[in-house]
Amino acid sequence: MSLNTFSLAVAGLVLAPLLGGLAAGADRVVTARLQSRLGPPLMQPFYDVGKLWSKVTLPASHWQGLFVRWALAASLASDVLLAAGDDVLMCFFVQAASASFVALGAFCGSSPYSKLGAQRELFQLLAYEPVFLVAVVCLAKASGGFDALSIMAAQGPLLFKLPLVVPGLVFVVLVKLRKSPFDIAASHHMHQEVVRGVYTDYAGRDFALLEIAHWADVAVVLWICSFLWATGPLQMLATGLVFLFAAVIIDNISARLTWRTMLGRVAPLTLILATANLVWLYLE
Amino acid sequence: MFGSFLKTAQVKSPWLLHFDCGSCNGCDIETLACLTPVYDVERFGIINVGNPRHADVLVVTGTVNQRNAVILKNLYDQMPTPKLVIAIGACGCSGGVFREAPNVLGGIDKVIPVDVYVPGCPAKPEAIMDAVVLGLGKLKGILEAGK
Repeated sequence: MSLNTFSLAVAGLVLAPLLGGLAAGADRVVTARLQSRLGPPLMQPFYDVGKLWSKVTLPASHWQGLFVRWALAASLASDVLLAAGDDVLMCFFVQAASASFVALGAFCGSSPYSKLGAQRELFQLLAYEPVFLVAVVCLAKASGGFDALSIMAAQGPLLFKLPLVVPGLVFVVLVKLRKSPFDIAASHHMHQEVVRGVYTDYAGRDFALLEIAHWADVAVVLWICSFLWATGPLQMLATGLVFLFAAVIIDNISARLTWRTMLGRVAPLTLILATANLVWLYLE
Repeated sequence: MFGSFLKTAQVKSPWLLHFDCGSCNGCDIETLACLTPVYDVERFGIINVGNPRHADVLVVTGTVNQRNAVILKNLYDQMPTPKLVIAIGACGCSGGVFREAPNVLGGIDKVIPVDVYVPGCPAKPEAIMDAVVLGLGKLKGILEAGK
């Protein structure tokens, strides 16, 4: 590993969660403005995590703390892999492992809501991960390599070769931002036992670490989305922001659906579209 | 610097757990009105949570009676420290017009320690928001004294 790659990896490790936190803050501010409210400050997610870090509470299970730390390590590792220009497919599998650790931790809790939430989290994984995988394969096929550096070095924007992948990526961003489906989502103002089931037994520092892992996850997903227009750093940033704000606007102007709709309709439809794009790339 | 940020964060991010202990729903409606765009308490970082393990402030409306006293105590015990309790409305403060009823124990402070009392029947949203701010001032004082 060269010194340059090492510096990029360290920058990814530090900056990606910070950018994910800022994205969460921007999401809450824009959502509030769309609802004619002033909303919290941009730094609110950081205050929330700082507050959770200071809380004194007993863990619901000792295993839970272990899974939270594994989830955080996996999420940060996926950021590092992307920042170092490494294999995007490996990054995808590592972030999927992080999501699985969150569900496994919830299964360790004693609350029935936690277990129900964990089961629904697995349904969610089943719905968006195949779409995300096909989208990554499409990116690799269109650019000629699985490593992030070759995707970013592709000639011209990949968006024009991958138009049918866009709905799939928007679906993935909506799910990863925890906007929809409403009976799994954990966005703010949606707090009930079943709705935020997966987070029921997480509290205090464990919950703070989980939130940081979530920021790192969001950064990875938006980063991969930005590969659709990777002609330069500013263009990538703009593409990531377009996906973020598209998800916020869709969430605010339309009803959130149930997990059954996600699993039975949205996931198959977006998977078919992304697969059709992949077939088209192979036939081209 | 990190310690100072953590103290600021505790004051800037109060998550409320609202428990209706036997209210007529008048105070509940006023409490939930605080979350609407008219009052928009989220601008102070306040959000309404449904899980005591995530909550910092327990907002209780209505009287305590023999049946719900155990649940109220249980919710309070599940909240991580430091935590605040706000009693909303005449019933929450003292039992109100129901205080002489045979099944009623009285106000919230008969079961758990209360930090801020909000009088009124029902309490106004402005008074509820003021109570949260007062409570946070008290929390800040506790944090400052603890350093």
